[in-house]
Formats: sequence, structure tokens, C-alpha cells
Amino acid sequence: MSNPIIVIENLSKCYANSNEMSLDNISLKMDSGEKIGILGPNGAGKTTLISIICGIMSSSSGKVKYYIQDNEVTYKSIRNRIGFVPQNLALYNELTAFQNFEYFGALYRLSKKQIMIQYELLFPMLGLTNVADRKVKTFSDGMKRRLNLLIGIIHNPDVLLLDEPTVGVDIQSRNAIISFLNKINGKGTTIIYTSHHMGEAEQLCNKIAILDYGNLIAFGKTKDLLLQNNVSDLMLLLMKLTGEGFRDNV
Amino acid sequence: MYKVWISIKKEFYLLFNDKTGLSLMFLMPLILVFIITIIQDSAFKIINENKISLLIVNHDSGSEGNKLKDMLDQTRMFNLIENNNIDFSEVKKEISKENAMVALYIENSFSEKLNSKTIILSKLVMANIGMNDSVNKKELISLLPPTIFFFNDPVLQDNYCYSILNLIHSNLSIIENTKMLEGLYSEMGYDSVPQNIKESIINNKIPIKRIITSVDDNCKIPNSTQHNVPAWTIFAMFFMVVSLGSNIVKEKLSGSFIRLKTMPTNFALILFSKQIVYLFVAIMQVILIFSIGIYIFPLIKLPELTISSNTLGTFIIVIISGIAAVSYALMVGSISKTQEQSNGFGAISIIIFAALGGVWVPIFVMPEYMKQISKLSPLHWCIDGFYTLFLRDGNWLMLYKPILILLVFSLSCQIITYLKLKYDKLI
Repeated sequence: MSNPIIVIENLSKCYANSNEMSLDNISLKMDSGEKIGILGPNGAGKTTLISIICGIMSSSSGKVKYYIQDNEVTYKSIRNRIGFVPQNLALYNELTAFQNFEYFGALYRLSKKQIMIQYELLFPMLGLTNVADRKVKTFSDGMKRRLNLLIGIIHNPDVLLLDEPTVGVDIQSRNAIISFLNKINGKGTTIIYTSHHMGEAEQLCNKIAILDYGNLIAFGKTKDLLLQNNVSDLMLLLMKLTGEGFRDNV
Repeated sequence: MYKVWISIKKEFYLLFNDKTGLSLMFLMPLILVFIITIIQDSAFKIINENKISLLIVNHDSGSEGNKLKDMLDQTRMFNLIENNNIDFSEVKKEISKENAMVALYIENSFSEKLNSKTIILSKLVMANIGMNDSVNKKELISLLPPTIFFFNDPVLQDNYCYSILNLIHSNLSIIENTKMLEGLYSEMGYDSVPQNIKESIINNKIPIKRIITSVDDNCKIPNSTQHNVPAWTIFAMFFMVVSLGSNIVKEKLSGSFIRLKTMPTNFALILFSKQIVYLFVAIMQVILIFSIGIYIFPLIKLPELTISSNTLGTFIIVIISGIAAVSYALMVGSISKTQEQSNGFGAISIIIFAALGGVWVPIFVMPEYMKQISKLSPLHWCIDGFYTLFLRDGNWLMLYKPILILLVFSLSCQIITYLKLKYDKLI
């Protein structure tokens, strides 16, 4: 039996200037070592859910519980074990890739020696060693996304939350990122990620949560969900469950 | 400690890459301090050092006109230009042509009329004390006083003209009194006034001892350098709002602040690093601009900057001014939604604060209500601190007010910054 790492109970979120619920009574259990994809159309509540999990925003009601070896802990005590890769490229364009890496590493309380070890381990894996001394403003979108990802895992987190980590990148970078995520998951890191790329999600995730209008409309193993809904891939599953109408022009 | 060091290092990297910000913080004030000091130097010199050019047109056929000229020359207030070849109507033209700022026209009969006046007045005095009864009252009535004509350039302020007129009157009184004395002695049958009596009466002025109210006796005369160097240094410090303000907005928009929320770090560390780096910038601005005032200005014949003997006081005013500038920039950065907003509002607000605070025009020439309004500008209190040190050689008792007000201002800015970032859920 697997150990829970994050348990979401009756989570709801309503933004101050909105009458609609961005998240409506969501409950989820995420186990250690899983690769969970949070999918849904625009405005479904994916980013809101991930932001609440990693402590960026608070919920209107409900609870997010964090566990270390079956013991419930506070967010503050697990914060150093969570990695976050935001959708916005939260990088300093005027600094080099290494300077960005070093700065965020220090904020994760890593020593200079630990940062160098991580640098030597991680930069080659995502093909950034040769450009480590180049300013980020000279990077392509793919290189920025890869660096953004490296910074999220610089401290070897137990849980890695990624908000659309492959937006705007070419197929080579996307492939490198997905392979990398599979690799670190193999070493025990739990992956929770949001995406609009169904193929990518299918390639990566062993569990899927589908959100629509702030509601959790499906949650389970990818294979089971496809079988239950009698569809061949995630795109068809999503279209079947959420419909074909546009969501971003309401 | 490593975390603090890396944070500070990162801020330095960002600063060195901000070429526009660096030029606004260092190059612009250097250019301004040179230009404005050179322009204002001549204006300050008119008040403090330059002699007023005085044209004397002496048509007096006697010797009293020359005496007056010599006495005015001895005051060392004037640069005397004598031209006796022009007539009354041409004096005005000389002023219009800016050949002199003021002119004195002494008429042909000046000595003659002065002699007549003093002789008759002497006779009157003698008659009054019963030593002579031969006063011709008709003579007294028909007496025409000697007249001197004074011309001045309209740009010369009224109070300055009155000072010059009073000086001329004072010297005329000496000539007149001497003549009176000679007349009295002559009426009493003496050939001349004994020299010692003449000199003691002429020099019998009540001495006025001038005391300039600096705390020590090390009196410094205000000049363009003493005003402009600290004033534009403060302006430069506050202009860091463009660099630091947009730095904060950039981080807000890029999502860096959001990312920081997920990290086991205190947001105070980020703000602390920024403040340390920009405080260092402020200190460098002071060192650079003050060094120009001390070492370069004398080479181009501008007055040298004389700094206060109160080194600790100067250091504290520099630090407090720097903290006020950094705090203001943090506040502007935190309340702005875009870099354009931060740059525009930041720059314009500093220009207004500078105008109000006495950077462009010294506060002492402002009307009373503007002097009161200027107290709303933080730059006013920074300049007040430097004035207290550089011109009044102020001690701690005099410095406490600007220090206290700048601390309250800085604290208010920091609180607003914190509340705004908290409200935006960025911290």
C-alpha cells in the first residue's frame, strides 16, 4: 500500500472579485511516487489548485494535508521538500543561467558546495552546461523552460509541482523535459503537473485528475479512465467529459 | 550568511546590467551639478564676492566730488568706472548698455553748493549760541542744496539699491560734517580745524562687530558649490527610484516574488539585499559628487566644497538620506503595476519633490508659504541636514530634527511597501 503525501479535503476557492467558484469542494489523495496530471480546459481551476497546494494562495474553505512517512505535517515543515515550476518564467533575464541557479539554490538553503554538486549533476541532463555562463535573455524559450525546471528541483524535492512546464517549447525540449521528469520520478520524486498537451500527459502520468468549472469530474489511473469511458486517448476523454464548447470567451 | 551574500550579489549583478539606471544615478547628477553650479556661481558671487560696477560722472568744478569718489572707492564694494566726458542724458545709456549696474552723476556746482550750505549753517549755529548775529535769513531761504543723481539697472533688487544709497549717504555725511566743522572753526576765527580733532570726528563711528551664527567660529560663506553639491547629490539619491522601482516591478511581473513564496526564505531578506545594494549606491554617489566638488571644481575656478568637521554627523546624514531614498523607491516599486508607471511616477515625483525641497532654488529665496510647503518634501530635510552641517556647522541638537523626520518618512514608506505587497499576496 502506498503512502499519501498530499491529501486534499473539500477544497474550495472563490476569488475576491468573482461570484463563481474557481474550485468547488475538491477532494483528492496523492500518493508518494505518483505522476499525477491535472488536466482541464482553460479556467478549469488547474493553476488555482496547484497554487494552493504549494502555498502561494490560500483556499476559501477545505484543507490541504501534507504527509511525511504517514505523519501529517504543516506546510511550513514540508516547504523545503516541495519544488515548484511556475508557468511564468520566474527567472532573472539579466543574470546568467548559473547565477540564477546559484541564487535560487542559496534561497533553498543549499551551501555553495551543494549548489556545485547539483549544477554538475543537473545541467548536463537538460543540455545547459555549455550555456551556463550566458545571460538568460539570450536563451530560446525551450532553454528558459529547461532552466526553470532545473531551479524547481535544485533542492531534490520529494514533491515537484509543475504548472504547464512545456508551454511554447519545441519538440526536442519537450521530449527532454518529459524524459527528465520520468527520470527523477524513478528516483522517488512525486510529480504533480498541469498541461494542455494530452499526448504529453499520457506519456508521463500514471494518474489523471480532470477539472471543469472548478469541479473534479474524474480522478484515477490513466488506463482505468480510458477504459471506463471507452476512449482510446486522453484528448478524446477530455472532449467527452468537458464538451466541445469554448471556455475562454465567456 | 551564504544566502544573504548571494542575494546581495544578485542585486549587484542586476544593478550593473541596468545601464540606464546607472547613468541616471551617476552620469545625470554629475552633468547637472557641473552645469547648475557654473550657472549659479556668478549669481552667488554678486551677493558674496563680486563688486558692483559703479560709474561716476564727476562734473564738479570743486574738490568735494573727488573726495566722495575716493571715499566710495575705499569701501571696496564697487568697481569704480570714472567717465567725466559724458553728460547727464548719456548716463542712462551707459547703464542700458550694461557698462555699469549703478551710476552717480555729480553736478558741476556740487562743491560750491555744499560750501555755501555749510557756511550758512555754521553761521546759524554760531548765531544760535550767541556768538554771531549776522545771519542773513534771505540767504538761508535761497540756499540750494547740492544734488547727486543716482541711476541703477532695473535688474538690481530694491533692497540692494537702498544699501548702496545708504552707503553714499553715509560718506556724504562725513564730507558734510567735515565742512561744517571747518565752517564753525572759521566763524570762531581759526584758520583751520586741528588735524587730530578733524580725524577723531570723522572716524568717530560706533563700531559694529559682525558675528556669523555658526556653532563654531569656522565661518563658511554660502556659495554655489555649498548649495549645489549636496542638493544634486540628494536629487541623484532619490532618482534611484527609476532603477530600484522598476527592478521591483520587474520581479513582481516575472513571477519571481511568487516563486520566492514557495521557498524556505524570508521575504525580508530580498528587501534587505535590495536596500543594502542601493544604500551602497547612495554612498558611492556622495563620494563621487563630493569628490568632484572638492577636487575638480577648484581646477575650473569654481568654489571648493568645504565639508563639515562633524564627520560622524555627515556620515549619519548621508546614511539617513540614503535610507529615505531607498525606502521611497521601494514604495513606488511596490505600488506600481507596470515599469512605465514606476518610471513615470517615480521620476516626476522626484522632480516635484526637488523643486519643492530647494534643490533647484535655495529655500531661503522662496516666499513664506512655499517655505512651509517645502517641508512636505523629504529632499528638503536632507538638504536641511547638509546645510546644518556645511553652512551652520551644526551639532547634534540642530541635526536631530531632519534625522527624526527622515526616519519617520523612511519607516512610513517601508510600512506602505510591506502592506501593499501583503495586500497583493506577494509576501
